[in-house]
Amino acid sequence: MSALELVNVHKRFGAVETLKGIDLSLASGEFLVLLGPSGCGKSTLLNIIAGLAEATGGDVRIGNRSVTGVHPKNRDIAMVFQSYALYPNMSVARNIGFGLEMRNVPAAERKQAVEKAAKILQIENLLDRKPSELSGGQRQRVAIGRALVRDPQIFLFDEPLSNLDAKLRMEMRTELKRLHQMLGTTIVYVTHDQIEAMTLATRIAVMRNGQIEQLATPDEIYNRPATRYVASFVGSPPMNMLDARVADGVAYVDGSPGGIPLPREFRDNAASARDVIIGIRPESLTLASRDGGLAIEAEVDVVELTGPELVVTSTIGNQRLTASLPPKTRIAVGATQRFDVDASALHIFDKATGQRIQRVSGAG
Amino acid sequence: MTSTWITTRAWLLMLPLLIVMVAVIGWPLVDTVRLSFTDAKLVGTQGSFVGLDNYVKVLSGSNFQRTLITTFWFAALSVSLEMIIGVLAALLLNQQFYGRSILRALMILPWALPTVVNATLWRLIYNPEYGALNAMLLKFGLIDSYRSWLGEPGTALASLIVADCWKNFPLVALIALAALQAVPRDITAASMVDGAGAWSRFRFVIMPYLAGPLMVALVLRTIEAFKVFDIIWVMTRGGPANSTRTLSILVYQEAFSFQRAGSGASLALIVTLLVTVLAVAYAALIRKSAGTS
Repeated sequence: MSALELVNVHKRFGAVETLKGIDLSLASGEFLVLLGPSGCGKSTLLNIIAGLAEATGGDVRIGNRSVTGVHPKNRDIAMVFQSYALYPNMSVARNIGFGLEMRNVPAAERKQAVEKAAKILQIENLLDRKPSELSGGQRQRVAIGRALVRDPQIFLFDEPLSNLDAKLRMEMRTELKRLHQMLGTTIVYVTHDQIEAMTLATRIAVMRNGQIEQLATPDEIYNRPATRYVASFVGSPPMNMLDARVADGVAYVDGSPGGIPLPREFRDNAASARDVIIGIRPESLTLASRDGGLAIEAEVDVVELTGPELVVTSTIGNQRLTASLPPKTRIAVGATQRFDVDASALHIFDKATGQRIQRVSGAG
Repeated sequence: MTSTWITTRAWLLMLPLLIVMVAVIGWPLVDTVRLSFTDAKLVGTQGSFVGLDNYVKVLSGSNFQRTLITTFWFAALSVSLEMIIGVLAALLLNQQFYGRSILRALMILPWALPTVVNATLWRLIYNPEYGALNAMLLKFGLIDSYRSWLGEPGTALASLIVADCWKNFPLVALIALAALQAVPRDITAASMVDGAGAWSRFRFVIMPYLAGPLMVALVLRTIEAFKVFDIIWVMTRGGPANSTRTLSILVYQEAFSFQRAGSGASLALIVTLLVTVLAVAYAALIRKSAGTS
């Protein structure tokens, strides 16, 4: 059964169309992340699912029931906000139980549910405090508790971790993952942070300009990005995008003297002479150890040691090539360096449309 | 620079203002206290010391007690109405609708008008011969013939309260609106998802944000209503049959109409004391509510 279904959802603010027809279906227990830069429409979409905003067109179905025009409280959803949105005048316990209180759940039952949620989130000792007496991480736990206690069909998270510092963000991320694994809840989660998306999601919807650019598992988003946009949005450092021209099965990168002979499986689809973008993830590059194979030459420009890796930025003509190498690699700035390219990790996009050029056969 | 010089210089810089304050606030107050112990007339006699006679006479007289009750009703009713209408207006003006900004600007108008203009305006509305209120009520069949709203002891105070409300609810509305706009959007959204209906949302989620600012409005308005003079003076002069005579009117009558400066002064000091007690009590309340939120 699908827990959530969006059918051709449109949203228009005056002349601006912020959502241009969103279709997706979410199975029960899935963790869907809506990923995109600010202004792509992801928060608007979440608000439409919550009922805090009305769609201009299309339908939202929760548990096979159309909820268009249904008040948020009757949608069987719970929401966690970026600002936590705790009621400042109420204790933690009352904050968590407020949804139940409003639904006339008897006090004893409410207390039990609040204590259970508090135990799961390890905030039992904070129940009597006011939100102003809590740290950011604790507040976020309370906000999650408030959602948890209601046991709704769908949890909605609106950038819940972006107000936390980096360390806490990582901790809470793991916590959320643990919660999802433990409770098997259906979650829709909005973020602009690709690491959150990659680590948490069972599926990611990468959004751009009010449309879903690609809806797929994190593995597929990372390893088989459907468009140049998705490829460049996910991954850090971002994927290298090299302008090139294909002729006779060889890709000539602009500014590079030699050509890269394309693997056979690309040749049929990229056979005719055309302008393409060659996408290479920084971690798919290694220092060339031998002649031949897939390799590309570049002039080393900057070398940065981040700790776990050595980020080497080089130039090919006026294009940039970034490689993530093992931290102990010895490399000279200013020298021309040959990098081996892992053929199976090569991505080719049509320059005009930005669409991925598929391999003819085989996976990957 | 030594610290004594810094202190001395500070006092020197404050001196001009201190002199002005002593001259325009301190001295009149002290002189009022002195006057209140004499039987001085406004014109003519300097008066001689009579001890607490003025106070005893004022406090035991039926005039004072009746006026105190009138003042209490005026303050209690007009302030409560202003608070209720003000908050309702703020809730309305906090909604999204076409023409909201025009309505917001319009709402300020009664408050921006000088009280005398407002009072004159309402006198016209209440006019027994050509007043708009009479015309309207007659048209709707609510009265049989024109009435003198300000001329009958039964309706004069209520009519004054309505006029005072019209003038002063915008202040409450303005303060409440500012407070409403400080309620984070996420909090109201969260309460909607939590299932709070309009009343619960107001009671549990929005009211805590309103309470502090409204308390300030309540203090300001109560103190002002207790001291009310101008609107009543223009509209009824305390009549008919003293039914709208408040404390300030009584003070004025005593000191200026009857020229009894001594007992007028004692009355004025009693009113000052009452207002001070109110102000202190409210200030304590505000501190308490600030401490708990």
